Amino acid sequence: MTRLNVNQVLALCLALVAVGYLAMAWQIPDFPLPRPVDSDLFPKVLGFTLLGLSLLLFLEKPKAQDIPDELDPNEQAQPLLLRPWSRVVVTSLAIVVYALLLAPIGFVVASTTLSFGLAWYYGYRRHGVNMAVSLGVVLALYLTMTKVMDVYLPTGILPL
Amino acid sequence: MEAFNNLMYGFGIALEPMNIAYVFFGVFAGTIIGMLPGLGPISALALMIPITFAMEPSSGLILMAGVYYGAIFGGSTSSILLNAPGVAGTVATSFDGYPLAKQGMAGKALAIAAYSSFIGGTVSIIFLMLVAPLLGKVAVSFGPAEYFALMVLGLTAVVSLSDKSLVKGLIAAVVGVMISIIGIDLQTGTERYTFGAAHLLDGIDFLVVALGIFALAEVFYMLLRGGGGKEQPRNAIGSLKLSGRECRDIAAPIGRSSILGFFTGVLPGAGATIGSFLGYSMEKRLAKDGDTFGKGNIKGVAAPEAANNAACTGSFVPLLTLGVPGSGTTAVLLGALLVMGVTPGPAMIESRPDVFWGVIASMYIGNIFLLVLNLPLIPLIAKILDMPRPLLLALILIFCMIGVYGMSFSVFDLLLLLGFGLLGLGMRLFGFPAAPLILALILGAIMEESMRRALQISGGDWMIFIDKPISMWLLIIAALSLVLPMVKKAIAGARARA
Repeated sequence: MTRLNVNQVLALCLALVAVGYLAMAWQIPDFPLPRPVDSDLFPKVLGFTLLGLSLLLFLEKPKAQDIPDELDPNEQAQPLLLRPWSRVVVTSLAIVVYALLLAPIGFVVASTTLSFGLAWYYGYRRHGVNMAVSLGVVLALYLTMTKVMDVYLPTGILPL
Repeated sequence: MEAFNNLMYGFGIALEPMNIAYVFFGVFAGTIIGMLPGLGPISALALMIPITFAMEPSSGLILMAGVYYGAIFGGSTSSILLNAPGVAGTVATSFDGYPLAKQGMAGKALAIAAYSSFIGGTVSIIFLMLVAPLLGKVAVSFGPAEYFALMVLGLTAVVSLSDKSLVKGLIAAVVGVMISIIGIDLQTGTERYTFGAAHLLDGIDFLVVALGIFALAEVFYMLLRGGGGKEQPRNAIGSLKLSGRECRDIAAPIGRSSILGFFTGVLPGAGATIGSFLGYSMEKRLAKDGDTFGKGNIKGVAAPEAANNAACTGSFVPLLTLGVPGSGTTAVLLGALLVMGVTPGPAMIESRPDVFWGVIASMYIGNIFLLVLNLPLIPLIAKILDMPRPLLLALILIFCMIGVYGMSFSVFDLLLLLGFGLLGLGMRLFGFPAAPLILALILGAIMEESMRRALQISGGDWMIFIDKPISMWLLIIAALSLVLPMVKKAIAGARARA
């Protein structure tokens, strides 16, 4: 069996999205009064267009820019948590945790911890500078947003 | 005379102390952000939206415009010193700027970039001032069918002029439109693609998508490509002085490239990147010493720098007069204006002259700032490039989070931001251009509204788009912009096989 190339795999995924999108377009309820164009027309046009483009992508031969570059072997040889893709996953998880803890612990604590923690995790070892910059930038942003722009940001555990 | 009076009115607004401060801040912040490799004007503008949210629209746009051309200018600094262009529009600058830096003449290259940017920007503001009101008068006669066709042209032009796959560009555009119609349909009150989530009833905020697709995706990409502590050594700056002969040598290339850049910027889909490459290749062909281009020719720095700044200003023409952005960057600007409650278009010149003329006047001031502020400060500003990459990445992330949360106070939006960041990373890895997605996201809702209004007028007859001559020609040009590159490619392929 011939192996699918990267464009073909992407095309199949996009075609599935298009089919799902079209299925949902058919479930959009009609407007009670008759109109030349209802809410479902544009989504149907978009769904079929994406389906057609998926077919074209399936037939398109991938170029060098369509295939992700090989990752640096030295980076890949690092401990699991420090490998390139691990950095993306850990950062994503950190963002999720930040989003969930932002309100309970407050903007300043959560943001400073995220900034300091990520810079440290990415390899910055001057902890004093890291803490000073993280706290300084977050406090400056907090004060600008709350005092100058009247935007409320959660204070959380700090009596700010 | 009318233009002069309007300009004076604009200066009255732009010279208000707070607006001068905003121009200063915008140019300065744009220069710094544009200098950072990877962060271009789109990210810079997206990061600024939360700051402009509560501002007067004229002040907000003045700041954003400053950020835009500041970012383009800042990109030249990293192109010259590191051979790592901060923005795509300054890639051509690195062809000769970096060799000059390696020869110990980085200061000279930076000074040429500053002078060229200043002249390019200033020349094109004069053109903008003259062309925009004329185009605005023509655009007043546009109905929904013409607008729909114009937006289709804007999208296809951006897709066809991208250096990536045409099909992938179109897919990105379709996905952008799909995202734009999530939420309640304002014409019928029907929910579309909300999956029952209350958070999605108002649709997805474009800032979430812009910051995710550009800034956050860039952070992820840098992490994948060794975002650790490796910094690139930069060249020493040296003297910033130019000799009389050098000034004479670059005068003509700057003049020619400024005009070329402006008109490239006006075209939908073109903009600073194409403008700078066109300026560079035009001067390479015209120069007697064209063979030294790429080896440290000062004209090779002057031409793209004048062209890219002129193109930035040129790109304001379709945005301000037609309300249709011609590039991803101006799409973000349009989004910011909509957030501030201003809808650009032909009526804006009459209804909001403070925004229109205030921005134009502020561009003069901004260009002077670019020159007098940045030139002496270049050695100092360039130290930003020495900032440790891990710290920089962490701070960009924080800016993204604050930008989104400060606008919506929604944890859901922070998670959406992450989703779009990952989508942006995937698009980057697999060669999908991001600019069509963001442009389509901004245009999608307006496009659908124009299409439906046109069809309502015609009683559902699709021929309305062909019966109206302007609409028909715009659609023909849109189709040609997609077909011609394919035909060209097919011919090139056939020749290669022969």
